[in-house]
Amino acid sequence: MNRRQFLVSTAAGILAAPALLRGARAQEGPFRTRYYPVAAGMGSRDVAPAPDGTVWFCGQRNGTLGRLDPRDGAFKLVDLGKGAAPHGVVIGPDGAPWVTEGGQNAIARVDPADHKITLFRLPETEAGANLNTGVFDQSGIYWFTGQSGIYGRLDPKSGDMRVFKAPRGRGAYGITITPKGDVWYASLAGSHIAKIDLGTGNATVVEPPTPNQGARRVWSDSKGRIWVSEWNSGNVSVHDPADGSWKAWKLPGDNPRTYSVYVDDRDKVWLTDFSANAIVRFDPESEKFNAFPSDRPGANVRQMAGRPGEAWGGESGTNRLVVIQSLAPA
Amino acid sequence: MRFFVAWLLLLAAAPAAADDAGERLFAPCRACHSLEPAERGLPGPNLTGLIGRSIGGDPAFDYSPVLRKARDDGLRWDAARLDSFLADPAGMFPGLWMSMRGVEDAAERQALVGLLAAPSSR
Repeated sequence: MNRRQFLVSTAAGILAAPALLRGARAQEGPFRTRYYPVAAGMGSRDVAPAPDGTVWFCGQRNGTLGRLDPRDGAFKLVDLGKGAAPHGVVIGPDGAPWVTEGGQNAIARVDPADHKITLFRLPETEAGANLNTGVFDQSGIYWFTGQSGIYGRLDPKSGDMRVFKAPRGRGAYGITITPKGDVWYASLAGSHIAKIDLGTGNATVVEPPTPNQGARRVWSDSKGRIWVSEWNSGNVSVHDPADGSWKAWKLPGDNPRTYSVYVDDRDKVWLTDFSANAIVRFDPESEKFNAFPSDRPGANVRQMAGRPGEAWGGESGTNRLVVIQSLAPA
Repeated sequence: MRFFVAWLLLLAAAPAAADDAGERLFAPCRACHSLEPAERGLPGPNLTGLIGRSIGGDPAFDYSPVLRKARDDGLRWDAARLDSFLADPAGMFPGLWMSMRGVEDAAERQALVGLLAAPSSR
């Protein structure tokens, strides 16, 4: 890693210094970072930008699902129930946020209009599943992971749910869908990724080349390549299922801890590094990293998602949401 | 006599019930933590012999900065501190890398503390 490749971004609300971006393609910057404070002590973590411009987010520490309006910074909280501890949220084909609600061991749907909550509880045989992350496939089935070592499918129309044992036990964490419709998940404790056969529900393990790398989250790019955030190794890696190949890059800095990965609409890769307390952008074309450290310690962004021109995350340690906007050149 | 026998049975069953509750509550924690001394390399530190040892005291584990600081400050786990931690982990150690909601129910926390303090967890 060349030190010059490690471009440090700006503090809140300030345009990135143009000199730092000299030579970058015009459409790649500058960037602007903005922070949105939410409720104290809520542990704002996974986010889901909605088509209407709002952003849904999980409050794992206070059992709520939040909805931020970035236009004025206002937010509302929906209490998900006694003992709730929401981890992940995605927007479904119905426009509603769907939540992996670990506290009640259930998948929760929140109606975006009246905030009515519908719970789809896991079978009692799967108590303590430690629900993690979900994604919808192209036929509208919701697939989810549980760190205890399960993954499952939920048909939102019938409420039918099936739970499968993960092939190597505990660890099932992030989950993603490719443009072709394939669903993959990562196993943190198992240090692998796996592809789910949507017909049978069976999962096929694929091992990254770095041993014990701690594959935590996955995200597909537009070509169906699976990007992986490796917590133990501090790498970002990519697997191309078309030819079985792998590539990996170590994040900059000392002892990086790569927590999350999100791939934007331009196939740029957004990572979070807990050691650097930063969001880190990776350009697969130039193979350069660009870091956006938080302006507060212990930010702990655990997941990112976005829409064109905006990469969103939840600072679980500071109870804020953060967005990095890629600004069009003047 | 029958009352006495029933009382003895209750007395014997109480710790077992607490153990069961502790095991049940600890189930989600097993995604990252182990109580088997030899089991290493998980996403969270091994919790064998937790009570009495330094905070951030698993030498094989890379802890959050806030827990490294607690270790450097000489803090140790005891039952009372573990109970407070379980009530609000990120409240006690802001910036903690582990993410979980605190356990509000005092009896549930005690069951977890009991499990982690049990000789079988040492």
